[in-house]
Amino acid sequence: MSILVDKKTRVLIQGITGHEGARACREMLSYGTRVLAGVTPGKGGRKIEGVPVYDGIREAILRHPGINTSLIAVPALFVRDAAAEAIKNKISLINILTEHVTVRDSAWIVARSRSRGVRVVGPSSVGIISPGKGKVGSIGSSAVEKKIFSPGPVGIISKSGGMTAEIGVLLTRAGIGQSTAVGIGGDQIIGSDFADLLTLFERDPATQAVVLFGEVGGSYEEEAARLISQRKFTKPVVAIIAGYFTKDIAPATVLGHAGAIVSRGRGGYYSKVLALKKAGVHVASTLEDIPKIIKSILRL
Amino acid sequence: MNLYEYEGKKLFSRYGIAIPRSVLWRKGNEPRRQWMKNPVVLKAQILAGERKKTGGILFASGAADVARRSRALFRKIVAGEAVKNILVEERVLSAHEWYVSFSYDTARRAPVLALSPRGGTGIAHAHTTAIDLSSGVEDFLFRDAIRSAGFQREDIFPLLGVVKKLWSIFWNESALLAEINPLFRLSSGELVAGDAKIIFDDEKVSPGARRFIALGGDIAILASGGGASLLSIDALVRVGGRPANYTEYSGNPPASVVRALTKKVLSQKGLRGCWVVGGTANFTDIYETLSGFVAGLREVRPRPRYPIVIRRDGPRQREAFRTLERVREDEGYQLYFSGSETSLSESARAMVEHSYRNTGVRRARK
Repeated sequence: MSILVDKKTRVLIQGITGHEGARACREMLSYGTRVLAGVTPGKGGRKIEGVPVYDGIREAILRHPGINTSLIAVPALFVRDAAAEAIKNKISLINILTEHVTVRDSAWIVARSRSRGVRVVGPSSVGIISPGKGKVGSIGSSAVEKKIFSPGPVGIISKSGGMTAEIGVLLTRAGIGQSTAVGIGGDQIIGSDFADLLTLFERDPATQAVVLFGEVGGSYEEEAARLISQRKFTKPVVAIIAGYFTKDIAPATVLGHAGAIVSRGRGGYYSKVLALKKAGVHVASTLEDIPKIIKSILRL
Repeated sequence: MNLYEYEGKKLFSRYGIAIPRSVLWRKGNEPRRQWMKNPVVLKAQILAGERKKTGGILFASGAADVARRSRALFRKIVAGEAVKNILVEERVLSAHEWYVSFSYDTARRAPVLALSPRGGTGIAHAHTTAIDLSSGVEDFLFRDAIRSAGFQREDIFPLLGVVKKLWSIFWNESALLAEINPLFRLSSGELVAGDAKIIFDDEKVSPGARRFIALGGDIAILASGGGASLLSIDALVRVGGRPANYTEYSGNPPASVVRALTKKVLSQKGLRGCWVVGGTANFTDIYETLSGFVAGLREVRPRPRYPIVIRRDGPRQREAFRTLERVREDEGYQLYFSGSETSLSESARAMVEHSYRNTGVRRARK
């Protein structure tokens, strides 16, 4: 099995006529994922890669009632509206690929989706892939796909898109496949955090262990540690936390991802590593250690 | 983007939050105001916090005293920042100092109102209330928060006024932080903002800006991907490398963006190496980005003779590496490149070895 994405995934792409939307469409189709429709207001009636485009979601769903997932690839300014439209139309999984969404809009989307029981992954999410079953978003380009992800027992949750692939490569090369890999995005406010997805992985019988890629800033890693300490997640976890070097940097400096803010005493490198270690998580200091630790845990 | 206190207070004024009578004093441009005969506070306009502790806030009274103390303050470096502007403010004799702010809490993934009848203690000791954006933001929610934070009954309405205005600033201006610390409560019951700390969301102010932070070392860094960039610098630091800067391009940037960034990064002084590093790209066109790097490299003067280590993988990597090979052969740059078969740590080690070879610099233990 897997989480979030499987063979039953039926995708709608909001912003399908844009550069990112069209590329993601090609990538998903070439992976065998069913993309039923696209939406770009004012551009309905045409086709992108053979996928019909509509002016609104209501119209798309009337024609394609099987849609259960939306990929949002519209420009940052329109993301809040696109998410509101998808939530209103009761699409149960929304994956937001767009980067540079304001914290204000993200917070609004999180509140709205929670109150309506809709799951959001992102913004700034590279996507979700359940190897061999399907994928949503830009994760694992078809050019290099075979080297990156393979089916197997390890889940990946990562704040970084690039590192989702990098960890996939290392595991695959070591002969360890993945159940589902999820890029949750590195923004300050995100739809699904480590703890949310660990909860799903806990219930997934195919997942035997999970790898987390975290970063300095915010409290999502600490939340994951708390969930694990409370025994709400009971499978082995390997984590790597980026930003060791920031221990010497001035507070309130924003690094790579918008959420990677160096702040005084909170969300720092050691705070996260200590919380995770205390919860019994294996903390790797380099990426190459991850497959070794997984192998020893799962006795592969 | 962080605002200076005087900019934040201008914003407060615009939204109807009371501020003390004040005038901005730019270096060499002495203001004269009748009210400056009264006791005043001289406040260095710098971005660092805790100015009282670091000597950025002085008290003065009378023209001569004000002139003398402000001259001293203008000569100072406070918390690493030169003082270019001083906010001269009439001293407020307050009965109480309170704390009010709006910010985002990642644990609750929502905006939070933080309130405390004891100012100066900061958000750590304040009472916090999450704002539920799925329902309307109503006055009664703020009133409940005010009571829960321990304020007196007679303060509910005056404070509600300030909280509502601060919320408007926070929400309308896409701020990440809107803080009044302290909020003075005068004996008349009037509320006056003693300080202003506003941070705007960079995505609103300058969407997609590339971040560049000087780190003081001698290995120039061009990293791609927010996560890869942090982890790469970690790997470099762990093997004894000294990063000159932090910078990162993410997404799928056109060659021109990488070219400009390359020129900026390689124009730093005293470099001993350059590390172009990233993970396995999902969709970034490696040929496009490395073409941008080569274009930038060719424009850097003096011509870089230090080693350049490239570690990158993803779509069109082979084409990119064929070009790099030609550039190495034809133009004589010291280029080393590899894909994901070389780990980040191995690449970091190679960078350090090439850069610090024969220089007598002792490398840190692995």
